[in-house]
Amino acid sequence: MSNIYIPDLVTIEDIYEETPDIRSFRLVFKDEKLRESFEFKTGQFGLYSAFGLGESTFCIASSPTRKGYIQCTYRKTGRVTNALGELSIGDTMGFRGPYGNHFPIEEWKGKNIVFIAGGIALPPVRSVIWNILDRREDFGDVTIVYGAKTVEDLVYKEELKHWDERPDVKLIQTVDPGGETPEWQGEVGFVPTVLEEAKVPAENTIAVVCGPPIMIKFCLNALGTLGFSDDAVYTTLENKMKCGVGKCGRCNVGDIYICKEGPVYTATEIKAMFDDF
Amino acid sequence: MTDKYISKDGLNGLIASVKASGGRFVAPVLDTRQVVYKEVSSAEEIVDDYILPRNSYKEIAFPQTEILAKYELTRDGVTIDPVEIVARDTVVFGARPCEAASLASLNSVFTWDFIDETFTKRQEKVVVLSLGCVDADDECFCTTVNLSPASTEGSDVALYETENGYIVTPLTDKGTAFVSAHSDSFTDVAKGEEKKELVNPEKVEGVDLTKLGERLAKSPNYDNPEWAELTRKCCGCGACTYSCPTCHCFDIIDEGTAFEGERRKNWDACQFNHFTLHASGHNPRDTQYKRYRNRFMCKFHIYPTKFNSTGCVGCGRCIRVCPVRLDITDLMTAMSS
Repeated sequence: MSNIYIPDLVTIEDIYEETPDIRSFRLVFKDEKLRESFEFKTGQFGLYSAFGLGESTFCIASSPTRKGYIQCTYRKTGRVTNALGELSIGDTMGFRGPYGNHFPIEEWKGKNIVFIAGGIALPPVRSVIWNILDRREDFGDVTIVYGAKTVEDLVYKEELKHWDERPDVKLIQTVDPGGETPEWQGEVGFVPTVLEEAKVPAENTIAVVCGPPIMIKFCLNALGTLGFSDDAVYTTLENKMKCGVGKCGRCNVGDIYICKEGPVYTATEIKAMFDDF
Repeated sequence: MTDKYISKDGLNGLIASVKASGGRFVAPVLDTRQVVYKEVSSAEEIVDDYILPRNSYKEIAFPQTEILAKYELTRDGVTIDPVEIVARDTVVFGARPCEAASLASLNSVFTWDFIDETFTKRQEKVVVLSLGCVDADDECFCTTVNLSPASTEGSDVALYETENGYIVTPLTDKGTAFVSAHSDSFTDVAKGEEKKELVNPEKVEGVDLTKLGERLAKSPNYDNPEWAELTRKCCGCGACTYSCPTCHCFDIIDEGTAFEGERRKNWDACQFNHFTLHASGHNPRDTQYKRYRNRFMCKFHIYPTKFNSTGCVGCGRCIRVCPVRLDITDLMTAMSS
């Protein structure tokens, strides 16, 4: 066995500027064998290296149904992410992973799915969305509720357009009050409110929620009001991580190590945790 | 294997024998006015009137800093080369029985699911020669955490002081192999050779580990305002974590430029604000009592229940080094009731 902290090298094949401070990379492994053999499950994450500055943790935003590459989306906000922001197409960076558990989508076959995401939290949900859309016939209705502070802060604008045009997807977009533009066609309001007003039926439906802690909290309440049971509501948690493999001591919530036993949890599991995230 | 004997003078032969076979001999020595574990080359360097060395010997298997890999960016591309893990045969002489339990605890963290070879490869090469305590101080509380100066948990060879030497009891296969490999250094125990009486530190009154564990497992106690009250004087220096033989937290950082440098694994501490600070500015452990509570939970709830290992060995280092005299046994007492 080799040293578990050594990343593999990946090449930036493409860059998408999502917002002024959020960008996505399409990454391919330099090692051809690894490019073929690499597998992950929807909801898993990795550690991405900017050499000289260190590693940062992001989810894998692409779907395992799309092989040969991985996509990540991050906000330029700290040392490592700012350094990643300087990289160009063709540059090399490091990747370790995949780590953590995943969304149990095989158990969701035949069910309706509602996705609820806020701001930079669409990337982890995107992996599940594409996974399900790529096997569309296995699932029931697909609803996506996505919001951001302003129109400018919405990520994956091209894909939002695509999902909006698809007859088999219901997309509800919203921006916080004051974040709209004169051309804005979507809703204005906070995600939990918009979710409740959309009256998504809870019957035979799985909800996937991802966003800042405060949004998750209010969305869980809204879903409760709509009649969702806590076992039908999934979210993916985030905590600072340095190792990704349950050793460095940062991400634990009580005795639960998010990096190893998470990051995906049901609302039932979340409510049983200590209030430490 | 039956008990053996080694005189204090005879230690020189053992040290020479260990060194001749390529190993290191680490023992308590006086260094900058403190007793610390350090490599020695003669028995005269070793002190024998110590309670506990200032540092923990966990650093043999879990160094304060180590290079994981070297990276280089050139016109031809990027390379990242893992650094080979250098694990030398290391003998820890005079480890205290409390502390001997610690490497097994660290092992439980470094090997659940993913195996951290930077630790395991070094740990495999460590032979622990524990020395029963004939003296203790007010900070010692091993008996409170169900260990004692006679404990053998984690020890490969138990040593017991006599008037002029040590009675040697091999405990594990590793310990037996060690004594056999250096058999010239040991003799049979002479008649009349008597072990000095071991000390028996008093248990801290009011501490009940079972109750403590049960209490920590329950959510309402987690949010008890008592935590903030009891830990208010903690200044967050992290000294407790660095001196603790079972604290395992670390950081992975790069040192160098964008063109060349090293990726390192360094000790870190859950007592620092930035330890859990998210890039967004959110921090789940945003005040000192939450950070103290995390360390306390780690010792008395996480280690025992999640890793089935000893979280706190009762060595008392965290009490001795604390600049504000915050005593972990006070918290243990309070949380037991």
